[in-house]
Amino acid sequence: MGARASLPLNGIPASPGIVVGAAHLLRWEVPEVPTRVIPDEAIPAELERLNAALRKAVERLQYVRERAERTAGAAESAIFDVQISVIQDEELAGRVRLMIGQGFTAERAFDTVMVESREHFARSANAMMRERVGDLTDVHIRVLSVLLGLPDYDPVDLPKGANAILITHDLTPSLTLQLDRECIAAIATDAGTRTSHVAILARSLGLPAVVGLLDATTRIETGDRVILDGTAGTLLVRPTTAELSQADARSRAEALQRAQLAKVAGAEAITADGVRLTLRANVDLPDEVGTAATSGADGVGLMRTEFLVVGRASMPTEDEQYESYSNVIRAFDGRPVVIRTFDVGGDKLPVGGYPHEPNPFLGWRAIRMCLDEPELFKTQLRALLRAAVHGDVRIMLPLVVSVDEVRQARFLLEESARELAARGIAHRADIPLGVMIETPAAVLTADALAAEVAFFSIGTNDLVQYTLAVDRGNASLASRFTPLHPAVLRLIRRTVRVGADHGLDVSVCGEMASEPIMAFALIGLGVRTLSVAPLSVAAVKQIIRGIHTSVAAEAVTRACDAGTPAAAEAVLRAALEQELSENP
Amino acid sequence: MVERLVTVRNSHGIHARPAAQIVKTTAKFASHITITRDDLEVNAKSIMGVMMLAAECGAEIVLRADGADETEALDALAAVIAAGFGEQ
Repeated sequence: MGARASLPLNGIPASPGIVVGAAHLLRWEVPEVPTRVIPDEAIPAELERLNAALRKAVERLQYVRERAERTAGAAESAIFDVQISVIQDEELAGRVRLMIGQGFTAERAFDTVMVESREHFARSANAMMRERVGDLTDVHIRVLSVLLGLPDYDPVDLPKGANAILITHDLTPSLTLQLDRECIAAIATDAGTRTSHVAILARSLGLPAVVGLLDATTRIETGDRVILDGTAGTLLVRPTTAELSQADARSRAEALQRAQLAKVAGAEAITADGVRLTLRANVDLPDEVGTAATSGADGVGLMRTEFLVVGRASMPTEDEQYESYSNVIRAFDGRPVVIRTFDVGGDKLPVGGYPHEPNPFLGWRAIRMCLDEPELFKTQLRALLRAAVHGDVRIMLPLVVSVDEVRQARFLLEESARELAARGIAHRADIPLGVMIETPAAVLTADALAAEVAFFSIGTNDLVQYTLAVDRGNASLASRFTPLHPAVLRLIRRTVRVGADHGLDVSVCGEMASEPIMAFALIGLGVRTLSVAPLSVAAVKQIIRGIHTSVAAEAVTRACDAGTPAAAEAVLRAALEQELSENP
Repeated sequence: MVERLVTVRNSHGIHARPAAQIVKTTAKFASHITITRDDLEVNAKSIMGVMMLAAECGAEIVLRADGADETEALDALAAVIAAGFGEQ
């Protein structure tokens, strides 16, 4: 073991921080089943082996559910009850026993029956059935692993303080529920990009992460010592002593830098030439509200509400949503909180009945879904109107491409307020309504939208994706996802101008704003309100304090006229480096 | 044999968690219990069967029980569905 050289793996930096720990490999995929026939006299023993495996899988799931209930809550962990019921299903087990009776091994029989069942559910015309395929796959893997004597990969067995680095292909919903920060120190995945679910989740939880490693799960073994560098986006497997001490030094340097940034957190977000900016924090999950509130941010520029629905067994009630929104609003004590309505598609909803789509980013999602499901949407709007009595709340609509969507949403908002008034429930009816500018259609008709809304917020990730026709979740396209493309810069410039003409606040709330060069470009384009991840607030503040708006504006004008994304980036990088060397 | 026509009342229909509640309820009884929707009849003690009903809010389903404790079984199953599985 000791003779092997260290193995460097390059991925995409998803959440900053350096961790040295032991790899915990989670191979959550259906194992290969060897084909073997058993003699008649072995059948009774084989049937008993099946029963024992089913019992063991149920016990294991009960344990996983109890652990998940403590970290994720009862509503979320109910999904494990469903999986337990599938394993205990007598009709399903009956089909497996029938095959064992014909001379198949327990694993071959179970595998065959589960493949058939999964296909039956996956091919159903009904979305409620198709949504269960993930649970059937989990059961398939779990029972086969027991029958084949494979190790339990669940991270729930890790002891507290294990400092494990979780290595997996992708983070599935049932795996996400098991993320216990007391034993998991970092995450590495084969799939994913900087803006995919796992990356956003890792940053929210403050867990260093590297994603897009492509084949890390085939190159690392459980127990391998690993250096994960979430800032650089690298994994170093089985490092040498020298590499370990280097990692240690860099880890200490990062801690020192964080301490310096903490001092900047309280300073004003004001440029070197005296222009005051508004810097807000993005909030993705309830548990990062504390970090966001103390980050030095002036309110929340984007509160995502998807956590309320994704991976759940049922839709959240009005009261549950009201509590979630109120917690964030109260934590910010009168500072503005911009809350975005559900930005999900039918595939993420716990309620069924929707077809799976070949192209979900161009599909039935966000404001489209909300307007077509008015009761679901109004439940959220009523919760928002009620929570608004606790502070300065603003509602933001995602994926708007046309003014009628704003009008319909406003109609439903007013109807929701009337319903609350009729029920005599405290609420605020005068909430500002704004839109996300994240499609070329919204940019090109921004003047029409401006007449109907109170603010614009540019969602850079989606604007880049829809402008360049590059899927932001596709790791093979990562190098083509270029936020500094002149087309994107020009669309942002146009949005800022229309906003200024109509006296509207224009903010940028994408992940883009947290990178120094992006923040520099945005300020040059005239954006005066930025919203970034809580952990990035201090770093962006430091950048803001080191630059002149006049220099940024001049550089970005040249970048807009550059022929290629690379040329635009080179112009901006040169100007930013010059600025920072003069204003350290 | 006893039977009853009921309507699914909870807004999300018989999705995964309600299906698990149905089989937990029916498992307590000795009777043979089925649920029928349109032409599809399934064993109410099998979650795979119940999930195949894909019964949304407003769906009309027929509950049937046959056995020594058929009346109690039917009452218990109908009560869980009428209560909307504890959801809104």
